[in-house]
Amino acid sequence: MQTFKRNILAVPILVWIGLLVGIPLVFVFVLSFLSRDSLGNIIVQFTLENYQRVVDPIYLRVFLNSLLLALLTALVTLVIGYPVAYITANLEPKKRAFSIGLIMLPFWISSLLRTYGWMILLGNAGIINNVLLAIGVIDRPVPMMYKFSTTLIGTAYMLVPFMIVAIFNSVDKLDRSLLEASYDLGASKRQTFFNITLPLTIPGIAGGFTLVFIPALGLFYVSDLLGGGNTIFLGNLINTQVTRGRNRPLAAAFSIAMIIVALLVISLYSKVAKDDREGLFQ
Amino acid sequence: MRLKARKFDTFYLSLFFVALYLPVLSVILYSFNASPSTAQWTGFTFDWYRMLFRDRVIVEAFKVSMEVALITSVLSAILGTASAVISMWVTDRMKSAIQGMMILPLLIPEVALGIALLIFFNALRLPFGHLTLVLSHSLFCVPYVYIMVQLRLKEIDRSILESARDLGATTWQTVRTVILPLVIPSIITASLLALAMSLDDVIISTYMSGPKTTTLPVHIFSMMRVGVTPKVNALCTLILVGMFIVVGLSQLFNKKQHKEDL
Repeated sequence: MQTFKRNILAVPILVWIGLLVGIPLVFVFVLSFLSRDSLGNIIVQFTLENYQRVVDPIYLRVFLNSLLLALLTALVTLVIGYPVAYITANLEPKKRAFSIGLIMLPFWISSLLRTYGWMILLGNAGIINNVLLAIGVIDRPVPMMYKFSTTLIGTAYMLVPFMIVAIFNSVDKLDRSLLEASYDLGASKRQTFFNITLPLTIPGIAGGFTLVFIPALGLFYVSDLLGGGNTIFLGNLINTQVTRGRNRPLAAAFSIAMIIVALLVISLYSKVAKDDREGLFQ
Repeated sequence: MRLKARKFDTFYLSLFFVALYLPVLSVILYSFNASPSTAQWTGFTFDWYRMLFRDRVIVEAFKVSMEVALITSVLSAILGTASAVISMWVTDRMKSAIQGMMILPLLIPEVALGIALLIFFNALRLPFGHLTLVLSHSLFCVPYVYIMVQLRLKEIDRSILESARDLGATTWQTVRTVILPLVIPSIITASLLALAMSLDDVIISTYMSGPKTTTLPVHIFSMMRVGVTPKVNALCTLILVGMFIVVGLSQLFNKKQHKEDL
């Protein structure tokens, strides 16, 4: 009875989130099996057609594009972010706090502004082309916008702070005496890094990977603005199906597919980091 | 040799920060360019800023965004703090249930969550606008408040709570006179973060906006799709300045609290 009384207070919270997340997810799931008429109205009639279209070569391509983008984004942010996290963790306290501040500050800067900044830098009349033209490296603007790689730059730029924060926490917790022991036993800096530091920071890497991969699947405004719709990604496809295509059941099926990919990545993460008590999700 | 390595570290870090802030600085710089194209710099001007305040649609969207963000941050502060405090008393199983529920909205890709809410609110025949925007934004804001307040609660010495009880304080009295004063700085920082996230959201807001209640980011996104114009630069710069004032305030508050702690 006592525990019942203590727990009863938590019920409204569970109901509140359950209502706003759980039920909508059930709706999407059900909708993904329904049909629609030519006007886009939903008809209550069971069909597997939406899922058949997910594996249809044209749409499968979109799916693979998104997976590739998310995977490359995670890799690029890892390669760029790991040294940043590692160096920052080893700085003296004052410089360290400053560096952490600079890494965290972008979280407060509008993500549209940050995407737009790349449009100004990379455009044909953009800053990079202007500078290169002015110093005579090129004699006509190099097209850099509206490519797969432009989208990759945008998503990686947007998400790299997440990767750094995740790895930083891992490096910061590292037991320094292990590194000293390694040096005392005659290991070189490189050996120590690959045999001790890297394996011990794997939970951080896995956490960063998860934090980057999942949003990278759906940042449709980045691929819209920087990719110009030349490569179609899952986020753009779902977005157009809902806002213009009026095919909500298909959008629902793609959303379910996207959620399944996200869940797979998360379960992979929890497997890698299961010994890590202070993990991403505590 | 060591000095060389340290020099490389500094160089790499500096290079990274230049790349991190170059796009942001470019946006700010070109908001003052007299020429409408980034192709050349023709002089310094405030004209683009003047144009903003005359644009009725932008002013309207700004109002909607501010209203939604303010209500969302207050709501998130209350719900997030309540959840974190209640977690201190419930059984362990209930606690992990709450934690799981809090993390759920953060694990689902935003597009999918947006679509799910769109379909749900549509079926409920809720009018799209302030209500749907606040409800959906609170979904990703409450968890952050919960996490930040909970981290602070973990630091609180359990013995303080026990002494409060030994001195005859009821649970509610303990919460009000001991716990809340200790976590208020975290609540304020977290609700400012919630404010920032609500003001910045593009994806979910795209689906939650009503015909006459478009948020600022959704409107800016549609402007950006047309292409680069200095008016967008000016608008983004203003938002940046506003946001930095908010961050500055929260930092100031945190510092003050730290001094009091000592």
